[in-house]
Amino acid sequence: MLDQPLIPVAQRTNPERSFREEVRALRLGEGEVFRGEGILAVAKAILQAGVAYVGGYQGAPVSHLVDVLVESQDLLDELGVHLETCTNESSAAALLAASINYPIRGCVTWKSIVGTNIAADALSNLASPGVIGGALIVIGEDYGEGASVIQERAHAYALKSSLWLMDPRPSLPTIVRCTEKAFELSEATNTPVMMELRIRACHVTGEFVAKDNKPPAISRNHRLAEPAEHNYDRISHPPSTYAHEKIKVEVRQPAAERFIVEEGLNEFLPGDRADLGIIVQGGITNVLVRGLDRLEIEGKVPTLVLNVTHPLVPGQIADFCKGKRAVLIVEEGAPDYLEQAIHAILRKRDIDTKIYGKDVLPMAGEYTAEVVTEGLLKFFALSANDIDLAKPRERFEAARAGRTEAQRLLGGSLPLRPPGFCVGCPERPVFSAIKLLEREVGKVHISSDIGCHSFATLAPFNLGNSILGFGMSLAAAGAVAPVMQKRTISVMGDGGFWHNGLLSGVASSMFNRGDRVLVIMQNGYTSATGAQFIPNTAGNRRDGETTSDIAATLKGMGVKWLRTIRTYNVATMLNTLREAMNTNDKGLKVIVADGECQLARQRRIRPEIAGQLKRGERVVRTRYGVDDEVCTGDHSCIRLSGCPSLVLKPSPDPLRSDPVAHVNNGCVGCGLCGEVVDAAVLCPSFYKADIVQNATWWDRLVWRMRSAVIGAMAGTAGA
Amino acid sequence: MPKPITVLVGALGGDGGGVLCDWIVAAAHAQGLGVQATQIPGVAQRTGATTYYLEVMRAAGPQSVLALNPAIGEVDVALATELLEAGRMIFNGFVTPERTTLIASTHRVLAIGERTAMGDGSFDVGRLLRAVKERSKSQMLFDMDQAAEEAGGVINAVLLGALAGSGRLPIPDAAFEAAIREGGKSVDTNLAAFAFGRGHARGELEQAVREHQKRQAAAIGVEDLIERARKSFPARSLDIVEEGIRRLTAYQDRKYAALYLDRLDGLNPELIRDVARHLAVRMSFEDVIRVAQAKTAPDRMARIRAEVRAKPGEPVEITEHFKPGNEEIAAVLPLWAARWLLARRPFHLSMHVRSTTVWGFARLRFLASLRWWRPRSFRYVEEQAEIERWLQSIKSAQALSPDLAREIAELARLVKGYGDTYARGLGNYRRISAEVIAPALAGKLAPSKAADAVANARVAALADPDGDSLSRTLAAIAA
Repeated sequence: MLDQPLIPVAQRTNPERSFREEVRALRLGEGEVFRGEGILAVAKAILQAGVAYVGGYQGAPVSHLVDVLVESQDLLDELGVHLETCTNESSAAALLAASINYPIRGCVTWKSIVGTNIAADALSNLASPGVIGGALIVIGEDYGEGASVIQERAHAYALKSSLWLMDPRPSLPTIVRCTEKAFELSEATNTPVMMELRIRACHVTGEFVAKDNKPPAISRNHRLAEPAEHNYDRISHPPSTYAHEKIKVEVRQPAAERFIVEEGLNEFLPGDRADLGIIVQGGITNVLVRGLDRLEIEGKVPTLVLNVTHPLVPGQIADFCKGKRAVLIVEEGAPDYLEQAIHAILRKRDIDTKIYGKDVLPMAGEYTAEVVTEGLLKFFALSANDIDLAKPRERFEAARAGRTEAQRLLGGSLPLRPPGFCVGCPERPVFSAIKLLEREVGKVHISSDIGCHSFATLAPFNLGNSILGFGMSLAAAGAVAPVMQKRTISVMGDGGFWHNGLLSGVASSMFNRGDRVLVIMQNGYTSATGAQFIPNTAGNRRDGETTSDIAATLKGMGVKWLRTIRTYNVATMLNTLREAMNTNDKGLKVIVADGECQLARQRRIRPEIAGQLKRGERVVRTRYGVDDEVCTGDHSCIRLSGCPSLVLKPSPDPLRSDPVAHVNNGCVGCGLCGEVVDAAVLCPSFYKADIVQNATWWDRLVWRMRSAVIGAMAGTAGA
Repeated sequence: MPKPITVLVGALGGDGGGVLCDWIVAAAHAQGLGVQATQIPGVAQRTGATTYYLEVMRAAGPQSVLALNPAIGEVDVALATELLEAGRMIFNGFVTPERTTLIASTHRVLAIGERTAMGDGSFDVGRLLRAVKERSKSQMLFDMDQAAEEAGGVINAVLLGALAGSGRLPIPDAAFEAAIREGGKSVDTNLAAFAFGRGHARGELEQAVREHQKRQAAAIGVEDLIERARKSFPARSLDIVEEGIRRLTAYQDRKYAALYLDRLDGLNPELIRDVARHLAVRMSFEDVIRVAQAKTAPDRMARIRAEVRAKPGEPVEITEHFKPGNEEIAAVLPLWAARWLLARRPFHLSMHVRSTTVWGFARLRFLASLRWWRPRSFRYVEEQAEIERWLQSIKSAQALSPDLAREIAELARLVKGYGDTYARGLGNYRRISAEVIAPALAGKLAPSKAADAVANARVAALADPDGDSLSRTLAAIAA
């Protein structure tokens, strides 16, 4: 078990991920060239637009927007920009209420669709009265390859709440212009604007010419003496809401359509085939253009790039389609909102241009290069067979045939590499303990949650029956527990606890006298999103104080059966789980599984240790190992842990063919392998090695004497 | 639209794929070349596969619109930090013999599914290498993991060096080196790793071949047994038989090694090699005496020091994790005492023995010295009986079908490990013996069918620890 002194949760400090370069880039002035990722360009653009407050909840691919600002506190102080690292998206969305009554610009951000779901209530209540200061919501549209959430489109929210939706072409100058224009659009129409950026667009590198940052006129540096006058029209309650509903469609939407046309937010790419056209979401433009290039017809087909996908401008759409034989809609994801809307626009105007879209392109899934190329080939075959695409088609088919051949050579699918717990992760031991518990009591219903611990649903643990959303695991066991003979176990992270689990889960379970088990992983950060602070982290970006303690909070809520257990101690964890499953106490049983995020811990202690070694101080380095002569190659240890540093190597024994376990140099000495071997009674192969660096004279003396005696004993044995 | 050079990178979390891309982007910028990149970086955790995609213009001037995804058949350079990830890029159709230079490390980092197998579950490297050779235009392959280790750096710098050395990008070495310096982290080791990769790419370096040290017990005092083996058994089985003789002499004594040879006598020469291998493992079954022998072997400390990278002069303390229970204790007791103990309630003693202290080592040494007693122990008697039964069925089977006999020999693979693992393996072994081998030897199952059935049952037994596959397979065989 981890020998380094345990750091109480309240003393775990900033894991210092540095955005030094990016922070510098935020200070660039007029005419200087900004180089970097898409999402950081947005951070710069909102400062150029004179934003007065920023908030957000972390999540790929937009975490960096807030992360980089957290490290730019000096700059924010100079400009007077207020920054909130919110506890969930709902609280971030609610920040925008500042723009309802005051002419100040605000920007909030989160991962979508999940974050938008959480924020939906606040968004509806924001959209109804509308805003007088520009309100921008930057959402990371986590869709397609590499996405980690359910696949749905944020588009639906824009439609139902009458929010405007931007989907900029993934090029930095366009992203920056759209960000700046979004505030103007918002103010011109009294409507909050959402801007969606897909994963690759957030990470796309590029450059743009910067402008000076603009300090907001009203800000924490220039405070208002008086609040806004009471105006019931700005309250989202009846009867105001009846009026809002009408204003949305009668005033705001026409204003938005005018603004979009006047500012040229949508782009027109010319082409000589006037009889054909393509309408594409801004975010998909690159894939489309390269697809046309692949077919050697890039620049030939007129294309309308929708950097704003809601509202559509009916006149613009109609003008584009009028007189064309066929138009292709390239719109990623289901349902086909744009295609339906365009059909309706054309039908009302009796324009009989043939519309293609989800008939030649797939309804669902990411629009990759291959998918779009195939769709284009189908579109042109149906609509313009005078264009000779024989050669490109042949190349495309050949590439596909080549892939089939490659797959034949490789003989079926390759082993998958799902994400898993890091080396030394404090959450892994909990699942090792649950595995061991299941050996005793049989399978248990496990309600899983969002966070690193969801990796337990994958190999080698394969534990978990459902994931219902962030912080929802306890609530999700509500109707399962009453029909189970055995108690259910809900697993939740501390991030999920503060995000939602505290109220949706704990309060509701207590209120309903639920007889369930809850394991809260207390690692001190929202680790899966890059180790951001949460209320139980030691301090936050402002001071060194911990905001709230989980165990104290639970006690305050009346939880009676509460244990805080150090996770690395598998035997204790197993005993505690067993007790929670078997105790006669009814009601909620909570185990706070405590262990600092190892990724954060390593980031913190590595420089410390390097410093100690440099100064010549004594440092003991611990790691584990396997005696390969003793290991018989069954790999139970791996099935119960899955640690990335617990690997296999060919058996050095010519008599045995099965590979043996091996601990590689990634080992951080957490000791789980040893604990598991002990708790599961596996084998005597594991050893712990403590290497004494900068040993004292006493260390050396003892070591030499012991080595001498042991050497003599080993020599005489002659085994 | 001008055509860029397209670069796809496949890496594992923690390999530094993102930093590698940053270096390429910075070096291209310094040359005034247009460059764009994007990534699917995976999550914050250090596992999982990550991919990065870059486009570098061939000359200064207008840029193309960046394709956000790589396209099948349109990748010029594919970089992989690990062999399976190279295979994955090939599998997905990105690497093609018409166009792609593949630069990849040949080392394997086994995926979780490969590691959790109860035997050898690793993907066939031969298949990967064949696909690499046949499905790319040119290849640059070497063990970059080892190169990184020798340079003291991370694999991404070796890969960058190999890319520079390949000459596929219009970027001089100096620009890449400047990018590493600008990065400001571990500059010296990264430059060393870069130089290694570049040197390798240009054929300036012969890769040092890692020496796998085979640990062999001294042959002292068993020359006559080895001589006897040479006279009795076919040449191609002798390396195994000799290893068996040395193993069992060290494990017990000369007499025991002679018993080993006696047991091999009378076997079909075709079967000697396989049976000899399993027989030596079975006869050197794992009891606490053997574990203590291994833990106190004279060369162990040197091996551990190398493995944990202890520098000369740094003291290393070793703590062993033991948890002997009534079964382990009973194993070394006389029969009557063992039976008494096994009838009691099971228990386990958690022991953390510090084998680098005099007292800790002495205790292990004492256990190791008990081997004289071993032939009187409960486990010894049990094992010998089990071995005899196994040999008997091999000998009966070889008359019917050498294939069946070989499969019965191979079944010994199931019996391994300690504690529950051992009990489970032995249980499966006995089940297959009773439900497949016994009927086959009794003539109730055709020998050729029986060989397949035993092999299937063995694979099924190794497929999952709960025994579900084995039950299904046995049911199918019985049906």
